[in-house]
Amino acid sequence: MTHLFEGMFLIDNDRVRAGWADAKGTVLALLEKHGATVHTARRWDERALAYPVKGKRRATFLLAYYDVPNESLANLERDIQLSEAVMRHLQLSVAEVPAAERELALAEQGPEFVVPEPPADDQGLYRPLQNLPEGEEDDTFEDQDDDMDMDRPRGRRRDDDYLDMDDRPSGPKSRVESR
Amino acid sequence: MNPPKPVVVPMRKGTIPIKRDQHIEYKDLEILVKCITPQGQLVSRKRTGFTAQRQRELKKAVKRARHLALLPFVV
Repeated sequence: MTHLFEGMFLIDNDRVRAGWADAKGTVLALLEKHGATVHTARRWDERALAYPVKGKRRATFLLAYYDVPNESLANLERDIQLSEAVMRHLQLSVAEVPAAERELALAEQGPEFVVPEPPADDQGLYRPLQNLPEGEEDDTFEDQDDDMDMDRPRGRRRDDDYLDMDDRPSGPKSRVESR
Repeated sequence: MNPPKPVVVPMRKGTIPIKRDQHIEYKDLEILVKCITPQGQLVSRKRTGFTAQRQRELKKAVKRARHLALLPFVV
């Protein structure tokens, strides 16, 4: 009996630079070696990672949908872990292949599809939302706290702490003035 | 004289646009980034306004995204 799986594979950018078809073929060969039937496979994205994985700060993501016989699932999992091409992977059991996924995978097989070259260096500022259209920027992890005065000694704020007296909060007069 | 009480601005609930039949996946980063704090922690149900079932979906999606280095464990 087989089950349908969704697999996301992080592929080393060095291998992608050598050729996307080869890098993708390595992963697909690994799946087919264990009797998997690949329905779709496509390049999902090339991104800066949130933290280094196997010493790399960027990776290309391959998204694939495939059927695997139950008895070879454990062996497949072990082989993927041992593979040097795949830095990390996530394998989930799913009910069906999304319709949009089939179209996107077909588009990748077309002659006009060109795989964007990964950046030459392994650097890149991480943002959760990447490859946004020009003019848009992700500010998820921008410092939103009002902690500009963290070096200020702890305790009640005195009026002397304010560089500009107009910055004082409005309201009842503070005790400093009444001293 | 007692110091003035701080003004508590109530958090708007349920401001994350998501369709009723839509499932949250680890690939939906546009939704996930709205459900984590600037420190990378998961936001509570009180703030997301999600149902218990959807919040569990969100939890799973964030953890999967962290495993694939799409989201950080901590900022």
